[in-house]
Amino acid sequence: MDAPVLELRGVSVKGRQQPRLDQVQLSLHAGERLALLGPSGAGKSTLLAVANGLLQADQGQVLWGGEALSRRPRIKRRQQRQIGTLWQDLRLIEELSVQQNLNCGRLAQWGWPKALLNLLLPIETEACAAALRQLDLDPALLAQSVGQLSGGQRQRVAIARLLRQDPLLWLADEPLSSLDPRLAGELLQLLLEQTAAPRALVMSLHRPDLLAGFSRVVGLREGRILFDCAPEQLEPQALQRLYAGSTTP
Amino acid sequence: MKIAPPLQVLIPAGVILPLALVLPGLCHGGGWELIGAFAEAALHPSLDPVVVDSLLRGLGVTVGVALLSWCLSLLLGLLLGLASSRLIWSTLSGTALPAELLRRFLAIPRSIHELIWGLLLLQVLGLQPAVAVLAIVIPYGALVARVISDQLDALPDQTLKALLSAGSAGPAALLTAMGPPLLPGVVSYGGYRLECALRSATLLGVFGLGGLGNELLLTLQSLEFRELWSGLWLLLAVMLSLESLIRALRQRWGLANRFGQAQPGVGRQGREILLLLGLLLPLMLAISHSLGIEPAALLHWQPLPPLHSQHWQEALALPWGRLIGNTLLLTVLSACLAVGGAPLLLLLVAPWRLAQPLLRLLWALGRLWPPPLTALLLLFVFKPGIWTAALALGFHNLGILGRLLLEGAESCSGAAEDALHGQGVGARVALLYGRFSALARSYLAYGAYRSDVILRETVVVGLMAGTGLGTQLQESLSSFAWDQIALLLVAYAALTLVGEDLSDRARRRLL
Repeated sequence: MDAPVLELRGVSVKGRQQPRLDQVQLSLHAGERLALLGPSGAGKSTLLAVANGLLQADQGQVLWGGEALSRRPRIKRRQQRQIGTLWQDLRLIEELSVQQNLNCGRLAQWGWPKALLNLLLPIETEACAAALRQLDLDPALLAQSVGQLSGGQRQRVAIARLLRQDPLLWLADEPLSSLDPRLAGELLQLLLEQTAAPRALVMSLHRPDLLAGFSRVVGLREGRILFDCAPEQLEPQALQRLYAGSTTP
Repeated sequence: MKIAPPLQVLIPAGVILPLALVLPGLCHGGGWELIGAFAEAALHPSLDPVVVDSLLRGLGVTVGVALLSWCLSLLLGLLLGLASSRLIWSTLSGTALPAELLRRFLAIPRSIHELIWGLLLLQVLGLQPAVAVLAIVIPYGALVARVISDQLDALPDQTLKALLSAGSAGPAALLTAMGPPLLPGVVSYGGYRLECALRSATLLGVFGLGGLGNELLLTLQSLEFRELWSGLWLLLAVMLSLESLIRALRQRWGLANRFGQAQPGVGRQGREILLLLGLLLPLMLAISHSLGIEPAALLHWQPLPPLHSQHWQEALALPWGRLIGNTLLLTVLSACLAVGGAPLLLLLVAPWRLAQPLLRLLWALGRLWPPPLTALLLLFVFKPGIWTAALALGFHNLGILGRLLLEGAESCSGAAEDALHGQGVGARVALLYGRFSALARSYLAYGAYRSDVILRETVVVGLMAGTGLGTQLQESLSSFAWDQIALLLVAYAALTLVGEDLSDRARRRLL
């Protein structure tokens, strides 16, 4: 069997009063779509930050495709290309056009000259248009500034940027939390469609009613995993224990 | 083809290409060992008590001149700013005409660099401590006046109208409605002027008006580099402490930083601000006393010689086209080196954590090192001319713009840059896309303002590096050719006023 796309072995991250992550054990294989549930402050964002390499674990090991992140910058960057994140605030660059933002997905592969050329001329237009079409967006948007897009269009452009990056591991930090139910359903469907094998998805969620389509659900509370099972095996009592004493969901 | 904002900030750095081409031809062969000795002396400054004592006394004079001229220019600027406010005149007398006239008149003292004021006052008043102070107060007062009247006129006036319609007297209504919102902007700008005053006081010292600048020039001319560095490190310590103090006060009072000239919000610590302002008066008296300033001595003017009509022809025959052309070229080259150099250097060192503190140190040295001294140092290895002058002026302004760029970069969100790092993008490209995108417009707007200041400063290096109106001014001053001096001042004033207008337009387009 291939190495897991992501593996966390006894990962702990210290916090001010209690650990943000405490001995977390998790492995994710190609084609798996994992929903991460938990109340606010449970450690979901910390787990995602450890998973995309921006935060270093104080204890334990994190492996991507069976390898730890290298200390050598060049190799580390090559490894990080395989990790794509959909941020809650999307992190699109407002001052650039849609096309330039989409091409940001390729910056890690490009050298300096091409990165500069992207700020000067529309490049790789066909690939960008294809990414937009895949998400039912009009390629005419390419020349527009990101600031002119509607909320729904912005979400899709952020996913299209991930398509341009083409990572194996897709991480999404509560991408549905500020959306109306219809838009949230559409976006979720899009993400699930795009993350078939060899890709894999980890998405943190606030809403246990949106688990259809995920292959696994993990409950995180006070930095520890409370349950890790298929959504259909998730019992209401487990959810109650997860959210006990908190105002969410 | 449309150039995206992050690339726009790098375009001025294109000036490095022609510079690289002309630089080998500029070298005159000798002097490299002097540059080496200068660099090495940085690590071994002189600790001789006699030297340190003399430098400390010089530093005391420079800081005293800076503080006193800063206080006086704020006071003068506040009064003139209120007197040239359209809002105040139209509220009190129904017409804004006097404000307009005063604004036009104030453009003249503002457009002439403090160094020229210093050299002129030296002719009129003779060498006395008050000359340096006055030389700074005149242009700074006019600058502060403009900023205050602009800020006052740009404030929303609904509260004022409400008070007036409720029957309040004009002056009381103005003070109540406009005073509190005006104060934070004035204080924030005032802090920035103190940094400028310290730089100006050092510069005036280089030209013989007393203080540490004079010591620095003498040690450089006598090649006593270790003593020179003792003075530089002292000045650096004072400048960095002052900058940190101002930054800390800005944060404490919730004021906007200088970058992008953002509109500040209402300060929270009004009482503290007013208390400090109240302390300025005794401070001014104490400094005047210690500098030995005698107000009575300012009344003894040496009359200027009469201007004879036959001399005008000679003055008009100066090569005006070349002088003005060189001055403008010097401005453009220096501005490009400074505006484009700061982001370029920041990008180049981005992958190395240790390099950034070194870059900060280099920029701090650039800020405090008066441009004429840099020009003198460069003359050890390069021939005099526009490029040498541009390097000196560019290096000084690079220090100022570099600090502002870093402040701006630190105050804006790093989320986009982090996101790019997380997907494996290298440090330089992540900085360019992730941070420069958001900073570009406000940075370039500040660059436009700075270019206008650089145009004014060309006189400073012109006096040393042999180019443009500054060099001619020095020749005319040393031959007491007052007709030439008068025409040169008019030319300078006209150029800087046009430059000011152009940079204002550029800024309005960018922001």
